[in-house]
Amino acid sequence: MKTSGNKINIFLLLLILALPAYISAQIPKSSGFVTDLAGVINSSDKEMIEAAAAEIRDKTGAEIAVLTVKTIEPYASIEEFALETASEWGIGEKGKDNGVLIAVSTGERKLRIEVGYGLEGAIPDGLAGSIMDDYMIPYLRNNDYSSGLKTGFIAVASIVAKEYNIEIEGSSYRESIQSMQTQRNRSGDSGGGLSIIFVLFVLFISGGRIFWPLLFLSAMSGRRGYGGGFGSSFGRGGGFSGGGGFSGGFGGGGFGGGGASRGF
Amino acid sequence: MNKKLLYIVVPVLVLILIAGSLFSWYINARNQLVYLEENIDASWAEVDNQLQRRSDLIPNIVSTVKGFASQEKEVFTNIANARAKLAGAATVSEKAEGANQMESALSRLLVVVENYPQLKSDQNFIRLQDELAGTENRLAVARKRYNDGVKIFNAKIRMFPSSIIAGNMGLEKKPYFEVSDAAKEAPKVNFGS
Repeated sequence: MKTSGNKINIFLLLLILALPAYISAQIPKSSGFVTDLAGVINSSDKEMIEAAAAEIRDKTGAEIAVLTVKTIEPYASIEEFALETASEWGIGEKGKDNGVLIAVSTGERKLRIEVGYGLEGAIPDGLAGSIMDDYMIPYLRNNDYSSGLKTGFIAVASIVAKEYNIEIEGSSYRESIQSMQTQRNRSGDSGGGLSIIFVLFVLFISGGRIFWPLLFLSAMSGRRGYGGGFGSSFGRGGGFSGGGGFSGGFGGGGFGGGGASRGF
Repeated sequence: MNKKLLYIVVPVLVLILIAGSLFSWYINARNQLVYLEENIDASWAEVDNQLQRRSDLIPNIVSTVKGFASQEKEVFTNIANARAKLAGAATVSEKAEGANQMESALSRLLVVVENYPQLKSDQNFIRLQDELAGTENRLAVARKRYNDGVKIFNAKIRMFPSSIIAGNMGLEKKPYFEVSDAAKEAPKVNFGS
């Protein structure tokens, strides 16, 4: 019959995580909100992400980190790798566990969004998967890691901002969003029908808690109505308040394996 | 002149010191055991929580799959059985057994899904699969943390000298949450029928 060549990741996951393999692996060293060990993020995207991540941390305590590596070895899976790294770094506030790690391995071509306990309500696994499918994978498939990580970061950042009811005012962040919008407008539609099903579904499973981020997503992937899409997420005027940058490491947040993974 | 006094005072002081340090060791060791046991209870609660979360997800998954593959009755029956078993489980080992049964049933389901390209590309199903994968991942993490805690606790209550205190406190070894070999194995594809 079938050899089930493309095995579904859940099953692989089960296998891998069930193995009591103890790996005394080296965890990559963090160099701030962006740790680009694979060297694939261009400097303007890196600066934008760092500034926005610092601003979010200053305003909410939540921390979003981006990591690229050439390989996840000696870890067997991206899940294990991302969990160990995120826990070791302690992304997010201690006690609140409101950290997110966006990790990409260019060698294995794997991507994972690891979500800390405190943000699992705002970013349920289905939403993490959807962010990757809609905003990251299309770029990563073309080896445009920098754009994929940038848009993925923006998606995560806007959800976190909504969750804490803050506005991200950094000018580079706002410019990035504007250029994304014009790109989207130019390239026409991309999966408009999808977003409606997705909104209904996630509302259903989350009991309506994450209504706002979904508005963001549906506005982004919908066919029409770009006008209001991102507009609500930044205020008029008011310059960037000059975030503190990355100092003193992450806050010590914990992780329990929430999030989703993809190959690309 | 003071020498006689010293002969008395010094040994007494030494005795007090020894008794004091013994006492503080006792308190520390006892507290540590209490902490370790609490820690296990907390990580068990997390395992339980994730098992429950998975059970809650299953009706959604089953109904979605049924929409495309209603004839796969055996798979659905297995899942229903495993779910019922898990719901009725009380002890750690019963839960582990139920969870393992559920894992084999689910992995069988995922093999079946491969036969239905339409289902595989269904957006709703993709999200559910993400949720399920995430829950499995959390469960694996919770299980590992629980087992790690049990390992330390069990070693501690058997090792001298903390074993004496554990004996006094009436502490017993905690069971591991075992993953069965069946659940680890790849699901067998049925060639007949």
